[in-house]
Amino acid sequence: MSFSVIRPHVVSRTGLGMLGLRHISTSRAVAVQASRRVSAAEGISAQDTAGFKYVPGGPILPGTVNDATTFPPADKTHGSYHWAFERVLSAALIPLTVGAAVTTGSAHPILDGILGVSLVVHSHIGFDSAVVDYFHPRKFPVLGPIMSWILRIATGLSVWGVYEFNTNDIGLTEFVRRVWKA
Amino acid sequence: MFASRTATSRLLASSSSKVASTSQIAQRAFSVSATQQHAAPAPVPPKQALKEFKIYRWNPDQPSEKPQLQSYKVNLAECGPMVLDALIKIKNDLDPTLTFRRSCREGICGSCAMNIDGVNTLACLSRIDRSETKPQKIYPLPHMYIVKDLVPDLTQFYKQYKSIEPFLKNDNVPEGREHLQSIADRKKLDGMYECILCACCSTSCPSYWWNQDEYLGPAALMAAYRWMADSRDSYGAERKEKMQNSLSLYRCHTIFNCSRTCPKGLNPAKAIAQIKLELATGA
Repeated sequence: MSFSVIRPHVVSRTGLGMLGLRHISTSRAVAVQASRRVSAAEGISAQDTAGFKYVPGGPILPGTVNDATTFPPADKTHGSYHWAFERVLSAALIPLTVGAAVTTGSAHPILDGILGVSLVVHSHIGFDSAVVDYFHPRKFPVLGPIMSWILRIATGLSVWGVYEFNTNDIGLTEFVRRVWKA
Repeated sequence: MFASRTATSRLLASSSSKVASTSQIAQRAFSVSATQQHAAPAPVPPKQALKEFKIYRWNPDQPSEKPQLQSYKVNLAECGPMVLDALIKIKNDLDPTLTFRRSCREGICGSCAMNIDGVNTLACLSRIDRSETKPQKIYPLPHMYIVKDLVPDLTQFYKQYKSIEPFLKNDNVPEGREHLQSIADRKKLDGMYECILCACCSTSCPSYWWNQDEYLGPAALMAAYRWMADSRDSYGAERKEKMQNSLSLYRCHTIFNCSRTCPKGLNPAKAIAQIKLELATGA
């Protein structure tokens, strides 16, 4: 419900205000749209939106109603490679966790270290997904990068902490074992 | 001779046999009216089954007024079984200003997609809850800009559908004959080509709520896979390449609201999973 409180102003602007002005700019906007392949967030002039400022995710759509939406530039690092790595890592965590559970951290420090780092990276990907969902830089040009860097710093600190814990202390597996038995 | 003819041919009979034919029609008319003397049906006392509908109202002509739920009481005894019947009855009898989209009334056009008792569905396919104690709540599709009352602005939805190029692309179309396809290849399209683009799935997806300017949403993605999976289309690689970014496809977090809400019983989540798999394996 809360969304609809702000929507009315918005709709009257898109619905009524824009359509009247649209006819002038249609042909030009179509030509511009056809000749370029940029992400929707960048390179949208006020001309394309009939004089209104385009805000990503906002009520003003880039281009005319007959223009298809555009795609961000293709990059497998953010696409299939990212997805495949995420799935492989998640699947690998199962045997890693089982392996750590049947051994002791002090006897298998390498396994303990791999488990610790994998868990942190797995969490990083999960939190990063949330940051992309809710604080994407196209909508939050200041807060978005801040959130990303907070996450990166937290992940870095966690990896360092796991390293210290596993080399100078008892290690993750042994710690869980002791808490379990306590 | 006259007896073997039909009543129509007798009326069209030539003027020479006028006397005979008119007398026959007169006789006929008597006998017909005699057999039609049925007993009048006993008057049924009108049953009252008042059902309350609470419907989202917002008028663009009064933009300063907040949207509100307006209550209508409909006598179910005088109304069809579906929610759309109730809406039409309200518009006809109670409030002509109530605005909603509808067309086919049989679940094939996708116009009357709305949120009924918290579920995105087609009003024409969803039965009225007969319980008179609980009001039925009807909202427009969630997290869309509203044009009026139950009418959402689907412009972005259609622009996204256009962006996936929902048509056959093939540089070597066979000339002078049909573009043939094996039965097995045709089967791959079942469960996808039936989509009517009612937007129930996309608007039920939280990812689409937060990022609908960039994330394509289940409906457009299933349409995209429908053309990737088509054996006659030769642009599958290009279609897949466009999905190689973090927003268009990979904002899907397998929430499954899309498959759960689809009024046509389709499975957009499965199509999206197929795209992800084929992108990862290079199939």
